[in-house]
Amino acid sequence: MSDNDTKDVVIERTFDAPVSRVWQAWTDPEQMMRWWGPKDFTAPTIQMDFRVGGKYLFCMRGSIGPDAPAQDFWSTGTYEEIVPEERLVYTDSFADAAGNVVSPATYGMPDMPEKLRVTVEFVATEDGKTKMTLTHTGAPAGENADNMLVGWNQSFDKLAQSVVV
Amino acid sequence: MVDYITSLSIDNIFASLADATRRDIIRRVIPSELTVSEIAEAYDMSLAAISKHLKILEKAQLISKRRQGKRQLVRAVPSTVKTAEEYLQAYEQLWNRRFDTLEVLLKEDNR
Repeated sequence: MSDNDTKDVVIERTFDAPVSRVWQAWTDPEQMMRWWGPKDFTAPTIQMDFRVGGKYLFCMRGSIGPDAPAQDFWSTGTYEEIVPEERLVYTDSFADAAGNVVSPATYGMPDMPEKLRVTVEFVATEDGKTKMTLTHTGAPAGENADNMLVGWNQSFDKLAQSVVV
Repeated sequence: MVDYITSLSIDNIFASLADATRRDIIRRVIPSELTVSEIAEAYDMSLAAISKHLKILEKAQLISKRRQGKRQLVRAVPSTVKTAEEYLQAYEQLWNRRFDTLEVLLKEDNR
């Protein structure tokens, strides 16, 4: 069994738009600003040096609870793979406004992995839509660092079963 | 995403799960309670090394130990394992909410 085959978060969505348009939503900062912040959030900063090895800096702004003040969530990383209209891979870490990687503890999440990896795949469907698959996995943080998140889902599946039984 | 995260008081969970052996131990003690020696038998490791792993998991409250006569029984703590799962769900929820927004954006194009 290879733990590395396990993905932590896998989301599949079909959008009623051609692949070129969905690709643009991820690769054109002005487009990305319009959706990176989900409902009730904004994305005031979307900067990208869109090439393999290039870095990005994103900011999502919003309030995390009814009484909580609005907060900025900065993230940065490096584009690792760019296959136009097919595949996009980048790393994802918490950051400060200057783009420096910061510990997840800064955002009150001390035990989160320092670095995640996001893979987005784009496939055109026969009826002109786009099937997009996003996988979000823990990335090894350094030497000897085992992948923090991989392998969990299997445990959870078993847990769910054991709870049901 | 973040509602979950701020409301959780987790300590060391993620760090504890950063090791393949420890994840494997959790998998074993989720379906059934096992003795320390039963766990140790499954690995090519000293009992001391296994005990160390168990100590880390216990500190993170991912497992609990109880004594029965001479035996020490180990089981998973479902609530903590679930907390870890909720982190992942929080991420999933964030992505889904973003994609809802993206969907709306793409629909506007068609008008």
